Amino acid sequence: MFERAYRQRLEADVARWQAEGVITPATGEAIRNSLPALGAGINIPVAVAIVGGVLIAAAFLAFVAANWIEIARLLRFAILLTGIAAAYGVGAAFAHAGRPVLADLAASVGAVIFGAAIVLVGQMYHLGDDFAAGLLLWAAGALAAAALTGSRGALAVALAAGSVWTEMRVSDAADVPHLPFVLFWALSSGLAIAWNSRVAAHLVALAALWWWYSPASGLTRDPFIITDGAALLLGAGLLLANSPSESLRSFGIILSVYGAFALAALPSTALAPLASGNADPPAWAVGCGLAGMVLAFTAATRQVGSAFAGISIAFVLIVANRLVQPVSGESWAAYALELVAMLSLVVSGMLDGARPRAVAGWLGLAALIASITWAFEGSLLHRSLFLAAAGVVTIAFAVLLGRVLPRESRR
Amino acid sequence: MRSPAAVFDRIPKFVLFGVAGLIQMVSIGVMVVDRAMILRTGTDVTLQTRPVDPRDFLRGDYVTLSYDISSVPAGALNGTPSAGWGMPVFVKVAPNRDGFHGAISVHAAPVEVTSPEVLIRGRVGFGANCGTERRTFCDRLDVRYGIERYFVPEGEGKKLEAARNQRKLTIVAAVAPTGRAAIKRLLIDGAPVYDEPWF
Repeated sequence: MFERAYRQRLEADVARWQAEGVITPATGEAIRNSLPALGAGINIPVAVAIVGGVLIAAAFLAFVAANWIEIARLLRFAILLTGIAAAYGVGAAFAHAGRPVLADLAASVGAVIFGAAIVLVGQMYHLGDDFAAGLLLWAAGALAAAALTGSRGALAVALAAGSVWTEMRVSDAADVPHLPFVLFWALSSGLAIAWNSRVAAHLVALAALWWWYSPASGLTRDPFIITDGAALLLGAGLLLANSPSESLRSFGIILSVYGAFALAALPSTALAPLASGNADPPAWAVGCGLAGMVLAFTAATRQVGSAFAGISIAFVLIVANRLVQPVSGESWAAYALELVAMLSLVVSGMLDGARPRAVAGWLGLAALIASITWAFEGSLLHRSLFLAAAGVVTIAFAVLLGRVLPRESRR
Repeated sequence: MRSPAAVFDRIPKFVLFGVAGLIQMVSIGVMVVDRAMILRTGTDVTLQTRPVDPRDFLRGDYVTLSYDISSVPAGALNGTPSAGWGMPVFVKVAPNRDGFHGAISVHAAPVEVTSPEVLIRGRVGFGANCGTERRTFCDRLDVRYGIERYFVPEGEGKKLEAARNQRKLTIVAAVAPTGRAAIKRLLIDGAPVYDEPWF
């Protein structure tokens, strides 16, 4: 999807450069020829065929459901197995015919039928109600299918089932991380890297954030835990983004984008409970956050913008781990640190040419200013003084940057 | 020497799709065969069901079952460290004067039993999160054995619910040497109403 949009933009640019005499027609042709051919996408007949296939599958399922009680148990079991076999058989036929999109779709349907079969077999045979174990089986089977068939859809099914599994396994003693999911996530990441697939990398990054969200939504209800996860994702992503491997680089960039947005979410979500928050964040989470900061600073040896990302992580972690205390009910130090953190994120993104990271910083700044301005408690006059002082300091910072940074880095 | 990726790429697609489907079909098959093995080789244990909260009655087409051994005194485990909700425990049961199996003791790990005692594996629900750090066992444990649901044809659940609430419903469970249990038979007033085939 993104590749096609990029090609259209590039074609328009090459045509314009040729018309303006910037490049010769031969150079333009050389640029076009240097790119590999685009894979077959989803055209209108394929899209219509997909809808038809889904309708037939739904009709089959409805027919089976309508006659479920009347069908003998062993026959029901055979129907489920046949459904799985048919999905992968059709997928193999499409793959053989050079239709990768339809083959991917068939494998995805197979992974979904597999999940339905687990539930129905559990119902038919009165199997124990350890629902999480069933989800683990579903996730593992779908992941195996993804690895064997290269199906992004099956990976999505696997990550969705795995995410619900980890959510259910996070006990009410939420200070204990659910480590088995980390192994599952690492295997999924390995696939995304091996495929060099942006779609898979997005899915994996989302699953990582979900894993961090699970303990945050548990009994400890500590929203700051997700900040540690965001820091780790951003730092690790920045380090991978400097890798010589194209697939690792692409994977790292996507991880860092998700990390940046999650980091920027703190000002809008966490400043309100900051004053009342008193639970100590778990050590493992803090350790992960610090590791993310170290990784970002390590990445700065290759990309200077990563140093600002490291600064941003450091300041966010100081706030998230409650190392600054409110004075007379006002979290001035926390506000100031968050402002610097978000500004650093913007500068980091601009220096590295990473627009999404800069956008995350801008959004964080907007959320922070809004939360300072519209806070329910405290003096509005004090807030206006704080914002004015912050504005003066920021302008001074801009002047300093204008003098220090080379001209080409300022954009 | 070829890289693993190159070797993988040379495998025909129908083989890869076939293996993917086979893995999933075998997984489903293992679920069924595993249960059949418990039914075939397990020791029979007769359990008295008991009424449950009405709000938990029939959800869909299954009956929620609770047993006298679903809530057991923690005994020696009381106050000892627990791994939290869902932690596996082993409940030693033996037949009482009524012929039903009752709980004798609960353990964090398997222990030796002598006939007619049987060890059933379960998971702790409430009761694993006491103490200031919520990391020790409470004095009483709610244990689930994986035999708390019985799926019935639509409309047949009410009869079982009524019998359960009058303590007329009992079950025979097969318990494997590992402690895992599966429902083998449902009885009302001692007469079998559902008998589970192996497959």
